[in-house]
Amino acid sequence: MEPTPSAPPAPRRRRIRWAPYILIAPTFIYLALFFAWPMAQGLILAIYDDEALLTLRAEASRDAPKVGHLPQGTHLEIQGQQSNRLEPGAELGENALTEIWFYVRAEDADGGPVAGWVPERRIRVRERAPDGSPLRGTVRIKLGQDVDPRTAVHGEPREQSPVVGYLEPRTPVAIQEQAVLEVWYRVRGLDEGGEPVEGWAPSRYIQVFGDENRGRVDRGDTGQFTTRFLAKMWNDRFFRPAVTNTFLLMVLIIPTQFVLAVVMALVIQAQLRGSDLLLYIYAIPLGVSDLAVGILWFSIFTQHGLLNSVLYQFGLIDAPTTYLSAETKYWIIVAVWLAEVWRATSLVMVIVVSGLQAIPGEVLEAAELFGANLWQRVRYITLPLLRPSLQVALILRTILALQVFAVVIALSGGDVVTVLANEVYRQYTEFRNPNVAAAYAGFILVLSMISAFFYLRTIRSHQEVAG
Amino acid sequence: MAEIRIERVTKRFGDFVAVNDVTLTVQDQEFVVLLGPSGCGKTTLLRAVAGLGMADEGRILIDGRDVTYLPPRDRNISMVFQSYAIFPHMKVYDNIAFGLKMHKVDRAEMERRVRQAAELLHIEELLDRFPSNLSGGQRQRVAVARAIAMQSKVLLMDEPLSNLDALLRLEMRAELKRLLREIGATTIYVTHDQIEALSMGDRIAVMRDGTIQQYDRPTVVYDRPVNRFVGGFIGNPPMNFIHGQVAQMDGVLTVRVGHLHVRPEEEMIPLLGGHVGRPVLLGIRAENMEVFDRPVEEGLKVRVLVVEPLGSQNLLTVRIGQDTIKVATHPSFQVQADQEIWLRFPPDKIRWVDPDTEQVLYP
Repeated sequence: MEPTPSAPPAPRRRRIRWAPYILIAPTFIYLALFFAWPMAQGLILAIYDDEALLTLRAEASRDAPKVGHLPQGTHLEIQGQQSNRLEPGAELGENALTEIWFYVRAEDADGGPVAGWVPERRIRVRERAPDGSPLRGTVRIKLGQDVDPRTAVHGEPREQSPVVGYLEPRTPVAIQEQAVLEVWYRVRGLDEGGEPVEGWAPSRYIQVFGDENRGRVDRGDTGQFTTRFLAKMWNDRFFRPAVTNTFLLMVLIIPTQFVLAVVMALVIQAQLRGSDLLLYIYAIPLGVSDLAVGILWFSIFTQHGLLNSVLYQFGLIDAPTTYLSAETKYWIIVAVWLAEVWRATSLVMVIVVSGLQAIPGEVLEAAELFGANLWQRVRYITLPLLRPSLQVALILRTILALQVFAVVIALSGGDVVTVLANEVYRQYTEFRNPNVAAAYAGFILVLSMISAFFYLRTIRSHQEVAG
Repeated sequence: MAEIRIERVTKRFGDFVAVNDVTLTVQDQEFVVLLGPSGCGKTTLLRAVAGLGMADEGRILIDGRDVTYLPPRDRNISMVFQSYAIFPHMKVYDNIAFGLKMHKVDRAEMERRVRQAAELLHIEELLDRFPSNLSGGQRQRVAVARAIAMQSKVLLMDEPLSNLDALLRLEMRAELKRLLREIGATTIYVTHDQIEALSMGDRIAVMRDGTIQQYDRPTVVYDRPVNRFVGGFIGNPPMNFIHGQVAQMDGVLTVRVGHLHVRPEEEMIPLLGGHVGRPVLLGIRAENMEVFDRPVEEGLKVRVLVVEPLGSQNLLTVRIGQDTIKVATHPSFQVQADQEIWLRFPPDKIRWVDPDTEQVLYP
């Protein structure tokens, strides 16, 4: 039969299936909104200084072109000043120098009408509206011998603006409007490159010294990425002890926990009489908050605590020993180690038990039948098959060990023995330095990620390698 | 010599008696199949022999040595598990070598035996693979290779083919039979598949409710079942049982089935004599009846309900009184549903069953 030529099949339009995307969208929104965004905001504090640079402008106005930047802390010469009307809603801070001008209407000495701007200091307010705003007043008398007794009225709320008229002292005026002005300084200083720059900046950013001619940049108005906070963390006197202690605790806690957890899991898995009860007993510490655990172990280790009483009762010591003091740092480490092992070993155990339950019974029976004794079965069958569970537990435990905090606080007060998480807290609360706190937090995050990556790469199960 | 003697073994799980006072002897190099429906205790008995579940009562002797309470590794046995139980984290080579490694066989010998076992199972090229990359059939071969590499005198197999698809099972059945003949280990093989049992075993032990019903060569178990259960369990289709009535007519003993009077064999007459006036079951296999499409002498007229052409034979379902039975005919026998046919029961093919005890009567 001849194959009949047929028209090529019409290209079928691939229908996009939206349902999965719609279903997953809330998750992404949740992650972005409550996870990625705050975390990025928090971490950026560690490397971004939002007050690093002060912008200088050619004239005393926000709209004037920029002429350069001065870093925070730069010393300046103040060369002049000028008032400038404030933009609405501006945050001034403590350094801002402001003055108020009134728009007034009055009659001059010749009886002609005068309307214009006068500084607040030239008017004595006599009458106010119920909301406190001034309505009427009189022009103040000028003191001194040689000065012109009249008060100038300006076309705009600035000294430099043209004078539109003069008012005699004591002239009554109607106050129609008031304007808040901020003083701008014309300053001169060295920019980051050491080049001198000169320009105008609002007074709110500048701290003026007593002689009125010198000052420094108190804070900038422009952000800049910086390693300043990281350097500050690195040079912090608590940094090295915190790192050392955190790693020391990790090295002590994690292997102990894993050996204990595997043994506990094997005991439970052996299905001895009462092993169900054992599981509940093991799980109790999971229900206790870590601070409570710290306090519990503190009560054991204090001078009149459980440990000393027991040792004393049995006549092993003559007088109570002081464990938790600055002189016996190693005892604090031991106490933290014991408390953390007591507290979190069950977590590893639960993971290991679930891993054990995934090992088919026949596989272990086969190992037994082919001649493996108990130790060989654990060594050659159980542990290798537990690898994925142990990996999960190891990542989890390492990350949690990097975050150990409350137990240390409870047992050492946070000074004698300090850990990384404690330094985040200390920087934030005691030193009021959220940037360095963020640097510490970021450091913990980086360590956690490195360790997770390391575990995932090195402890890979054979099946995965083969697949 | 590796004779397995199971003496009066009982195994209980709580109140449930899984194996009840079982005595069984497996001769050296013999292939014995434990056959029975699920829950009959066959796997429990095998595990007692393996040492994976100790017997509560009785003794188990391997090669004259009492192993009842020895751990598995001291029994000189190897085993193939139903789920294969190969170690997923080890390459095929290490899987096969595992037992040898545990028994501290030296490296060269180990290598030789692993290669040999792999060769026997045709899996030499898989030795470097991980089990996750193997098909079900290949895993099965690895499990068998691991067991035979041990060169134990006793080989235990727990439904090794039940996880394979039908075609592969057929192929592995023949291959396992050849292999076991070659290595000459004493083998206990557990299965619920009666075809596997019939085709592979030197002897079959049919189990039910923890006891052994019959222990004999496959042909005997098939041809001369001891009771209604064995007859009904073995064979596809199972043996038919037709209700009859023993009667004495003119001094001649016959069994009335429908309107037909069946004359038993001479040597059966004394045994059936005691049943006169009482019901008896006529047991006959589907392929042992003579079928005619026209009236014949001593033929029972029946109506065909269903015709199932199976290629090698036609399977007819017919009704006799209250019993529905299966009749196998040659495929050339033309018949349709609702047609009438005539059946003849050759006396030497009939097994007479006492309906009270359900035992088959043998002279």
